[in-house]
Amino acid sequence: MNLPTDINKIWAFASRSLLVNRRNVFAIFEMLFWPGISIFSVGLLTKFLKLDEATVTFVLIGTIGMNTIQIAQLDLSYALLYDVWSKSLRHKFIAPIHLSHLLVGTGLVGLMRGFLVFVIMGLLCMWLFGMDLGRPGLTGLSMFLAGMFLNAAILGILVVALVLRFGQRAEVAAWAFSYLLFLLCGLYYPVTILPPGIKEMAQLIPLTYFLDYFRHFYGFPLLSAHPLLFGFSQSVIYLGLCYLFLHSTLNTALRRGTILRLSE
Amino acid sequence: MQPAIDVQGLYKSFRTGYFKPPKEVLQGIDLEVAHGAIFGILGPNAAGKTTFISILTTLLLPDRGRATVLGLDTVAEAARLRERINLAASNAHFLWCLTVEETLRFYGRLYGLGGRVLAGKVEELLELFGLTSHRRTTFESLSTGLKQRLALAKTLINTPELLFLDEPTSGLDPEMSEHIRSEIARLNRETGLTILLTTHNLREAEELCSEVAFLKGGRMAATGSIPDLQSRLGLGDHLSLVYKSGVPPLDFQRLPGVLSCEVRDSEVQLVLDRAEVRLAPLLEIITRQSPDPPEVRVKEADLEELYRELTH
Repeated sequence: MNLPTDINKIWAFASRSLLVNRRNVFAIFEMLFWPGISIFSVGLLTKFLKLDEATVTFVLIGTIGMNTIQIAQLDLSYALLYDVWSKSLRHKFIAPIHLSHLLVGTGLVGLMRGFLVFVIMGLLCMWLFGMDLGRPGLTGLSMFLAGMFLNAAILGILVVALVLRFGQRAEVAAWAFSYLLFLLCGLYYPVTILPPGIKEMAQLIPLTYFLDYFRHFYGFPLLSAHPLLFGFSQSVIYLGLCYLFLHSTLNTALRRGTILRLSE
Repeated sequence: MQPAIDVQGLYKSFRTGYFKPPKEVLQGIDLEVAHGAIFGILGPNAAGKTTFISILTTLLLPDRGRATVLGLDTVAEAARLRERINLAASNAHFLWCLTVEETLRFYGRLYGLGGRVLAGKVEELLELFGLTSHRRTTFESLSTGLKQRLALAKTLINTPELLFLDEPTSGLDPEMSEHIRSEIARLNRETGLTILLTTHNLREAEELCSEVAFLKGGRMAATGSIPDLQSRLGLGDHLSLVYKSGVPPLDFQRLPGVLSCEVRDSEVQLVLDRAEVRLAPLLEIITRQSPDPPEVRVKEADLEELYRELTH
């Protein structure tokens, strides 16, 4: 391992991601528009339903979590899609890079964008709906953010692997998969109301534990005795599994000629 | 000295469907390419040229056989090999919204370059390929010729020892093709860079390549220098001698450099291995043997003839 060389390779992906985001008006649009729409629509719905302050906070935490993850995983998900769209995938894989350079470089930009969205949404929630975002303190906020970024990384790596396996049509499947996760993890409701069987499935999703952890600062009872332990350990396991899946997908792509096909 | 490329018994097949038998694309390829050569791989569509070049550039794993490039195994030592080679494919494609300079910087960083080294290399390549005035133009706004020049510039970002060019002038107008060809020849001449190129363009191969290989149906139909191949296949230059007063009693077949001979009435058709070398001494012998000098017509052999013979 050569640290300066590795840093340059990571910076290659990070700087390219930053440039693409800067040039693409829709990248800025998706950072402001969709999170804004989510906060306004969900927040106004809670007002219409005359929900109490605690329940409003419960729902808004779900909204913040979902949008932060969605934006944070985008750069990772697009890491290969940009090359597939521009038919330049083979130039990337002929260079002496490791998957880790690609994932860390684009992941860092995703993390930065996700953090910005979190801040914007948090401020909107405080200003429009009186949510006290600071109540969990710095540690609580940091743990929640770390959990969301880990979940975003899992989703992003999964998309990269699926794109390498099935081409750009995999993007749709990835979006569907992320919404399924949000449905199961109790984004707008406690997982206790989920039907039997599905409730158990929710226990296998790390985001369930991070939402549980963050909500307990607002007076909601913890559903798990050690939400951070379960959340982080599951995240690490899934990250490892996703990385192995991506690695094996790359080998399959090298055997089947997928990289060439996606470059034509 | 170990060859720059050494391929032994290379096989590759692709699945075309779950219930269909795999399609054999490469069927036992053997090849050696010397250091410093410009080597051409010729063949019709679907002959396996791109598959072959992709295995050598580590973008594809072979089913069987072994390929070493610069002494490194393309499978086991792929990561180390990637640092020392580069590739330009036909129809240059890069990310549409990056400028020429940003594209070069991006690929430079992928090879671990940074700081002043990267800046210097980018400047050098912009200058070398006449791209300095286009440095802030985005890729999507470049003309086809400029895109191809950028593709060539990108291949030199890591100062490779071996360059793979997959149909480098495909889709370019004749003037730009000529320019790119002269760039390739100059690179080889000035830096001693080994170049392996695939092409459909026979003139390109004739102009650039010291040796060529013909791929047909996944097999290597023939390998060698163009004159050698012509000689081996009896496809030399055509020399026609027309006598006014009949053909003199001369054993034309035994004359030096004559590959084949056909006498028809007052005309002799000879096939020579290399007319530019053989013609003068041959004509001297012929005129010495006959008081009636013949009318001489020469038609040089072309690669097209060789291509037809080997690939059809």
